[in-house]
Amino acid sequence: MLYFVRRAGFFLATLWAAVTLNFLIPRLQPGDPAQAMLNRLQGETTAVNPAQLEAIRKLLGTPDGNLLSQYWDYLGAICTGHFGVSYSYFPYTVTAMISSALPWTLILVGVTQMLSFAIGTLLGAWAAYRRNSRVDSVITLGSTFVGTLPFFWLALLLIFVFAITLNWFPDGGGYGGGSSPSWTWLFVSDAFQHSVLPAVALLITGPIGWIIGMRNNMVQTLGEDYARLARAKGLPRRRIALTYGARIAILPNVTGFAIALGSLLGGTVLVETIFNYPGLGRLLLEAVSNKDYPLMQALFLFTTIGVLTANFLADVTYGFLDPRVRRAEAV
Amino acid sequence: MALLEVRDLSVTYSPRDSAAVRAVDRVSFEVHDGEFVGLLGESGCGKSTLGNAVLRLLDRPAAITGGTIRFDGQDVTTTPEDDLRSLRWVDLSTVFQSSMNSLNPVITVRRQFADTFEAHSDALGNDLDVDARATELLEMVSLDRSVLSRFPHELSGGMKQRVALALALALEPRFVLLDEPTTGLDVVVQRDILDRLRVLQARLGFAVLFISHDLGTVMELADRVMVMYAGEIVEDQPAAEMVTRHLHPYSAGLLGSYADPRDQVVEVEFIPGRPPDLSQPHAGCLFQPRCPVAVDACRTVHPELLPASLGQVRCLLVEQSGDARVVLEKAAELRRRDQVFAAGLSERADAEPVLVVDGVSKVYKTRRGLNTTLTQAVDDVSFALRPGQVTALVGQSGSGKTTIARILTGVERPTAGSVRFKDEPVDHLGRGALRKYRRHVQLVFQDPFSALNPTRTVAYALSRPLRNHLGLTGAEARARAAELLETVGLSPADQYLDKLPHQLSGGQRQRVVIARALAPEPEVVVADEPISMLDVSIRAEIIALLDQLVRDRGIAMLYITHDLLSARLLADEVMVLNQGVMVERGPTLDVIAEAKDPYTRKLLAAIPRPGARDIA
Ligand SMILES: Nc1ncnc2c1ncn2[C@@H]1O[C@H](COP(=O)(O)OP(=O)(O)O)[C@@H](O)[C@H]1O
Ligand code: SF4
Ligand SMILES: [Mg+2]
Repeated sequence: MLYFVRRAGFFLATLWAAVTLNFLIPRLQPGDPAQAMLNRLQGETTAVNPAQLEAIRKLLGTPDGNLLSQYWDYLGAICTGHFGVSYSYFPYTVTAMISSALPWTLILVGVTQMLSFAIGTLLGAWAAYRRNSRVDSVITLGSTFVGTLPFFWLALLLIFVFAITLNWFPDGGGYGGGSSPSWTWLFVSDAFQHSVLPAVALLITGPIGWIIGMRNNMVQTLGEDYARLARAKGLPRRRIALTYGARIAILPNVTGFAIALGSLLGGTVLVETIFNYPGLGRLLLEAVSNKDYPLMQALFLFTTIGVLTANFLADVTYGFLDPRVRRAEAV
Repeated sequence: MALLEVRDLSVTYSPRDSAAVRAVDRVSFEVHDGEFVGLLGESGCGKSTLGNAVLRLLDRPAAITGGTIRFDGQDVTTTPEDDLRSLRWVDLSTVFQSSMNSLNPVITVRRQFADTFEAHSDALGNDLDVDARATELLEMVSLDRSVLSRFPHELSGGMKQRVALALALALEPRFVLLDEPTTGLDVVVQRDILDRLRVLQARLGFAVLFISHDLGTVMELADRVMVMYAGEIVEDQPAAEMVTRHLHPYSAGLLGSYADPRDQVVEVEFIPGRPPDLSQPHAGCLFQPRCPVAVDACRTVHPELLPASLGQVRCLLVEQSGDARVVLEKAAELRRRDQVFAAGLSERADAEPVLVVDGVSKVYKTRRGLNTTLTQAVDDVSFALRPGQVTALVGQSGSGKTTIARILTGVERPTAGSVRFKDEPVDHLGRGALRKYRRHVQLVFQDPFSALNPTRTVAYALSRPLRNHLGLTGAEARARAAELLETVGLSPADQYLDKLPHQLSGGQRQRVVIARALAPEPEVVVADEPISMLDVSIRAEIIALLDQLVRDRGIAMLYITHDLLSARLLADEVMVLNQGVMVERGPTLDVIAEAKDPYTRKLLAAIPRPGARDIA
């Protein structure tokens, strides 16, 4: 129990530190950062409206304002989801932009990540269970080969074959040009059609790391004395593979998976750009190329929170799965 | 009909990247119902491989390449895994060499019992009360039922080993294979477990194949002893016979490494050299390069395992002479020439002490939360180390031995009392002075495997202290390193200078560690259990080396150990430490022969005395 309390405490502390750094860093620049940013913006466009000015002020503070009260305002804004107005998507707020992009990424990348993990772990475990057999060679060599292919090349190949040549699926976008997001059957099936190619691309490359990691871990655990003893005890092969092999071999992968989920945003930029998909990754890319600071800051904050939360969840699951860390830390 | 019948069994390792090794070569033996058989030999002789083959647990790259294994009349040499399952654990069970790692780390002890019972529910029925039965089994090995809900990492090494033993007996098997079941445990704990094992075996009547390189224990426990060398059985005799009338020169060599430390004169022997490389073919007797009584024919004729005395022996001399006694005498006489290390009664004149420890105490503060606990690790200890003499420091783990070693080397400062090296107060040295001081006080550690950097050559390991303390570099340092290797018996030195640690045997590594300690020409050497990780057959060799170095170079040595036999052989004086307090101290023989402290007596009782069972 103490282990979980400790982990939670650690999580809250790092979360607070991350949020505070996000507040402090822009304010550490000399001069008035808001004014500096305004100057930069005005150099590129003509008009900066008062709402934008207000948003930037809120984000970056006034040079003479009380830091403490600014900090308080900033925390309040974060808690209520007020990140100001997006510069490049004016007059939409940052919150609106993010919440319209979030579901796309969550569904496409979130689901494929989980599937990749499940498929990869299963294939890896199967290869280890049948180690040195033909099944093992096919899985190991196959995934090593696929692992050498560049993702963008694979993605473009899919688009070329299935979208352009065969015309089975659309070549990009999240949904058809005419429709707008709604919970109708028509829209959902259209959106599904659009998600097939990016999902397939992700599912081809996603499991590779899990397969290889799981296979190697499990071959090692199955070679340990406890697995040999289990064999000597006459336990059924499958039982040994599960409780004495997979159960222990999966531990390092669980942490890896949680971290991968947390840093999902980074990985989505490429796939969403290639498939022109309306998710967070593309939003981030656009925010960066348009110097949309409010949007960027909010996205970075989200990423940090995502990574921290994922790490926390990983620690918690690890604590459940591995009694060694739970008790060792409790001392 | 024997319970276990092994005929001409061969096992070969065929690794992908190196030559095939014939680890077990046409081995035949039998184990009868209820019989306790010992299997003896140095590490690397193929004992574990043979054991795993019998259990049908060989994994790639090892495979049975010939012969048969019959259990209770049934040929199990090639039985498929699924058919073996009904036999496993119900009839044959095992405790592995390193039970440190033979329990599943993520499930409780209860689960480990439960899944054993589940796997054999057809034999046991489904209504077995797991907790009740597991408790009963744990009680047999003197463990409390609270162990059931613990995870392996929450148990000490000795407890894990007891759990492993209880598990092995769970289904009341007819045959149990024990592969070095107590290696690596504290001697007193070892003793407890083995005593327990003997009682249980007598009560439950299972047959045992007991693998060990520690022949004292084997001789004491077993009814019959087989000696294995380089993949072959070289002698097989009833235990009593093996003690008094063993025939093979290798058995004689192994037996020679034991003695009773209470005797007036203690002698131990050792067998120089190492087992041969089994990936190469050998004509003649495999033991010939190390055999003190070899004749010409031994180089070309491979001896067969033939009946002799009450058992069987594989030796040309025994074959020819028929009268084994003659061979034995001759062997003993020859060995005595240069392979015996004896500790007599010779008194040495007292020299001026180099290092004086006066009333030293050490209190450790450990802070947990708001509470601070004080641990008195060392309590008012005084002694002196003199040149050319060895002082042994004996005591249980946790009794403060290592703390004293750390205080001597200046790593730790005493809470009270003083340490003086000649005229320098060690406990008041500044950082620079301390570095200079360390040159004079060197350490030799327990584990020769981790003491050397695996990626650096021997020459490099030796050049470091030569440069740091003596300022030697380049060719000069190399020449000195070679000299040091010759001093510790690694000769010719050129063969060893550029080797990496993994290319050396355990004994050779420990010699390199000793050479490294000698490099800065220290006046004091602290040796912390330097032989406890080594094969019994080469321990005497290292002791002889340490002894020679101490006498020749006038080194003052503190020898930390819990092995009283080696203390007796090496030390002029013994101190016994119990919970930080020095409870006994005096000339070695006096302390050992008339031990008063309970721990010392326990240690004495823990020393195996081959054949003691006959006398008792
Ligand atoms: N995995 C392996 N690959 C190649 N050779 C091995 C392997 N394991 C053991 N051997 C060789 O088999 C021989 C016997 O080893 P082992 O049965 O462990 O001996 P023991 O138990 O008597 O110490 C040794 O010479 C060792 O080098
Ligand atoms: S056969 Fe020869 S070399 Fe081998 S043990 Fe006998 S005497 Fe020694
Ligand atoms: Mg072994």
